[in-house]
Amino acid sequence: MTLGDVQITVAPNALVARVTGEVDMSNAEEMGASVIGATPNESQGVVLDLSGVEYLDSAGIYVIFGMRASLQARGQRLVLVIPPGSPVHDTLRLSGVQRPGEIAETVQDALRAIDRPAAAQA
Amino acid sequence: MAEPPSEHVRQPRLGVGQIALGPAAPIAEPSDQVRTSYRFSDPALSELPLEQLLDELLVRVQEALDVDTVAILLYDEQANELVARAAKGIEEEVEQGVRLPIGQGFAGRIAGERVAIFIADVDHADILNPILREKGIRSLLGIPLIVEGALIGVLHVGSLTPRTFGQNDLAVLQLAAARAAPAIERAQLLAELEHEHDVSTILQRSLLPKRLIDVAGVGVAARYLPAREEVGGDWYDVIELPRGKVGVVIGDVVGHGIAAAALMGRLRTALHSYAIESHGPGRTLELVDRFVQSLNEPAMATAAYAVFDTYASTICYATAGHLPPIVVSDSNTRMLDVTPAPPLGAFPYGRCPQHELELASGEMLFLYTDGLVERRGVPLNVGIDALVEAVRDARTPEQACTLAVSSLVPPDGLRDDVAIVALQNTAVPAELHLRLPADPKTLAHVRRMLRRWLVERGASEGDVAEVTIAVSEACANAIEHAYSPSPASFELEAVGNNGEVTVAVRDRGRWRPPRGTNRGRGLSIMVAAMDDVQIDRTETGTEVVMRRRLRHR
Repeated sequence: MTLGDVQITVAPNALVARVTGEVDMSNAEEMGASVIGATPNESQGVVLDLSGVEYLDSAGIYVIFGMRASLQARGQRLVLVIPPGSPVHDTLRLSGVQRPGEIAETVQDALRAIDRPAAAQA
Repeated sequence: MAEPPSEHVRQPRLGVGQIALGPAAPIAEPSDQVRTSYRFSDPALSELPLEQLLDELLVRVQEALDVDTVAILLYDEQANELVARAAKGIEEEVEQGVRLPIGQGFAGRIAGERVAIFIADVDHADILNPILREKGIRSLLGIPLIVEGALIGVLHVGSLTPRTFGQNDLAVLQLAAARAAPAIERAQLLAELEHEHDVSTILQRSLLPKRLIDVAGVGVAARYLPAREEVGGDWYDVIELPRGKVGVVIGDVVGHGIAAAALMGRLRTALHSYAIESHGPGRTLELVDRFVQSLNEPAMATAAYAVFDTYASTICYATAGHLPPIVVSDSNTRMLDVTPAPPLGAFPYGRCPQHELELASGEMLFLYTDGLVERRGVPLNVGIDALVEAVRDARTPEQACTLAVSSLVPPDGLRDDVAIVALQNTAVPAELHLRLPADPKTLAHVRRMLRRWLVERGASEGDVAEVTIAVSEACANAIEHAYSPSPASFELEAVGNNGEVTVAVRDRGRWRPPRGTNRGRGLSIMVAAMDDVQIDRTETGTEVVMRRRLRHR
């Protein structure tokens, strides 16, 4: 069984990366690198869909912070999709991290957030 | 993904009634020595193909030691098991394809510990292979077969009357082993080459799983027995699924020969692929049916697919034209109800309704193909009833397979091939004491085992999630610390008392202070998730001990 998977689709203005399964120190960095590497320069940003994630550890959070930093350096945004009840919320709460980036509940909301002018960012 | 190996920290011990023998002194009588040694160094032996060589060696051992039984089990490296390969006096062992785990029982310990073992009285010893008892063997002597430090197998002899095997017997056996082991190794290499001509057998074997999964709280065993004449299209599969689930498959492609074997390979792959997408058993079989329909060639198969949920101790199953599964239970061994559904590829848009039942700790699900129960002129239900009777007393999946084969496979061989797979809900030990490789891939294994363990300690969903992440973080730290050049490992212990769990993680590396604010989060998580976290750092290693009262939320 593979631990986790990343499925990447390209929407008009953003790249949508759907992560499923478990993310830990054995696969977090590679997952992050594959998403950043697949993001076209002309994209407004990345929607990191974590709704299919069953487990995420501190290595995963570390990688998300790293992704946000490298996207910011290219003038791109990162919006996370974390639905209520997701185990990702447990990890964020336990690690004391409130917002590792903008958070939306669905991919649609996240894409709308990316379409909004950057000035409207929270 | 391959499971990282785990082992109990405790040292292995010999079983009850077993005596490890030291190296033998030379045989006393010089004339005997010459005669005995000639028996095994006869140059004619080198000319024989493997089967005949083993046969001939067994006869010579039987004569030289005047014993009732002799058997050679060969080591299957991939499965880490011993496979009965040749026998005199206990031919059943070979006919039934007995497989024994390394490290347990008589032969298993000889192989695992590489020592000669003498059992004076079988009744008072730890013996796994039921055939040895059934045959009425009283005393046993066995030794490992080793070539250039590599384990090849086990050679053992038995006596139907109580007998004290002494140093001379051991010396004869060692002489035979010294002759047999390199010859077996050489012949195995040759046999592998020759077997390549037997394409269908190779194909069939290569299409079946090489090694069954290793998941906490689940025991599995399987058999594939070819038909007397032709290869068939039976298969089994065991699939590790997300969220603590395990899938178990049995299937039978209609037809024989290489075409059936090839189609079997495609169907096994198709089913495996749909299964890991976490479609339920019913939908998985329906998707395989659509796959068969899309092949545009006459193809049909029957199959049963069951998913065991290790957290909930439930089985969800569905069948497509296949014989009903059996549940082996202390109180109620029985054939399960199935909703009749057409075979895969039989009718367009066939439906496969699924059923659910509890599989209590110790209970087993037993899947098989019709070759095991179908006999000319005998109604099918008679065969199935006989199978239910045969497996009723099985306590392990391996025993269930052995009992089914020994009771139902006719002495003159099978007309149709047979596949069997048994899955048991095995209890997780009350305490975990594990030594684990310091490899990031170990973490997923630790979490799976810990979740099952926590569920059995009465932990709620919230408890399971939070304790699991805290322990996984502690293990991740241990893995990061272990940067020594030698193969590194760490230890995990978990105990539960009065609604409280205590987990200790120990490594032998140096504590490294968290690098940057993000890296410190692992520790924050541990502290937030557990009631108490003690970290003891010394020159020789780090120990993290964490406690949490289960909150039932």
